[in-house]
Amino acid sequence: MKVWMHPIEVIAFFDSQGLPRPLRYRWQAKDQPHHEPVIVKVDRILQQHEEKPAGNRMLVYRCQSVMHDLERVYELKYELSTCKWFLFKM
Amino acid sequence: MYCVFHVDVNSAYLSWEAVYRLQQGDSVDLRTISSVVGGNEADRHGIVLAKSIPAKKYGIHTGETLHSARQKCPGLMVVPPRYGLYMQCSEAMVAIMSQYAPLIQRYSIDEAFLHYQFPPGMTPGPEAEAAAVKTATRLKAQIRQELGFTVNVGIGPNKLLAKMASELRKPDQVHTLFLHEMPEKMWPLPVQELFFVGRATARKLRGYNIFTIGQLAATDPKLIHCWLKKPGLLIWQYANGLDHSRVTDEPVPVKSIGNSSTLAFDVTDRATAHQILLSLCETTAMRLRKIRRCAQVVSVTLRSDKLITCHHQRRLEVPTDVTSLIWQEACRLFDDIWQKEPLRHMGMHLSDLCSNDYYQLSLFHQHLEKHHQLDKTIDALRSRFGTRAVFRGCFSHSPIQPLMGGVLQDQEVEYPMMASYL
Repeated sequence: MKVWMHPIEVIAFFDSQGLPRPLRYRWQAKDQPHHEPVIVKVDRILQQHEEKPAGNRMLVYRCQSVMHDLERVYELKYELSTCKWFLFKM
Repeated sequence: MYCVFHVDVNSAYLSWEAVYRLQQGDSVDLRTISSVVGGNEADRHGIVLAKSIPAKKYGIHTGETLHSARQKCPGLMVVPPRYGLYMQCSEAMVAIMSQYAPLIQRYSIDEAFLHYQFPPGMTPGPEAEAAAVKTATRLKAQIRQELGFTVNVGIGPNKLLAKMASELRKPDQVHTLFLHEMPEKMWPLPVQELFFVGRATARKLRGYNIFTIGQLAATDPKLIHCWLKKPGLLIWQYANGLDHSRVTDEPVPVKSIGNSSTLAFDVTDRATAHQILLSLCETTAMRLRKIRRCAQVVSVTLRSDKLITCHHQRRLEVPTDVTSLIWQEACRLFDDIWQKEPLRHMGMHLSDLCSNDYYQLSLFHQHLEKHHQLDKTIDALRSRFGTRAVFRGCFSHSPIQPLMGGVLQDQEVEYPMMASYL
């Protein structure tokens, strides 16, 4: 998997404990700004954990989706201090 | 029974920056390449604040100019500091430490003392020391695993020996320095390695044929007192591992307060210099009022473009915490000493602090309650809406910041600076 750390727009569901669960996201590759953005439905969350290197809390989701008829595994990150979502690795 | 842990982050600013960048998807670990954290050269703050271990091998020192560092290591990577991030890292580290003991003293941004209580029923001895080492190793591993940076933990019977222990060998180590270990671990070290012994004291001691901490410890304290007066006795006590200061989470008593700034341009006219003094006074007086003190002595420091420094101070007839009055005095002091030379650095200090509840007024001076009311209102506004919420009109179209000095200029929090005493 390649590290992207690309900011993305996300539709997420927050459970009663306040934990977000990504449902769908829109991603536009930095190197292809003229291409149509890709909308990806998160099919499964395989793993989820919290990390806080340098005291910066982030929720890390290892997810699985079908993209262009291929099943792909990737990682999303949610930064708690800024409420930003990132496509971390794909 | 207890002992003290001293936790010290290895290459703090650089490690924190490296870990943060890795989390943000950066592929390069700054700790593994020649890199430094350095100030902005355009603002003339271009000095090395922290260096990586590979950069250290090129002979780069903390505090030297970035220009000289680049000459020593041509491919050097320089990253700007992020003080907000460092506060966040420091707070996360202290939060982990507080899981191990309730009493923690934050000594600086990257150092803290922890009061470790030996397990119940355990008396000081090899068994208790082994338990302390085990706990310290667990603490070190937890910080590394959760926060991603390494620390040194020094264990000693008091704060001094714990601090000396954490300096022994770096990085990512746990060291003990109990009284019975001093002859082997501390006394062979050069005397300048001892806490409180700076370059000047070390030079004096070498002049008396004292080269190691052990030699200092073995010298008659009366002789040391003759040579170095009262501070000499303190370093003699330190050399013998004697320190009676407690680990405390209470704020240290403030004896003086001040702010200074290296300026982005050389100041050559009086009006600009007065404006800079006003900006420094705004910061300093606000901090003074926050700790509910009044100042009796105002001092001004100037450094010229030739790096010649001069100070001037004066005792006020009536103690004050009013920004305008402090500024007027600072301007008078400035006018007394300024010889029209271009200035690259200006600072001001307030000392001989007294309570702001009761103080002697003078019949011959104005005591305007409206000054106090105005400062109180401005402080409240800044506290609620940020330090830039309200500032004087003279700064509105000026290149000078309305509140100069301090590390975290946009925030009201105090950046923990290292004290010169334990």
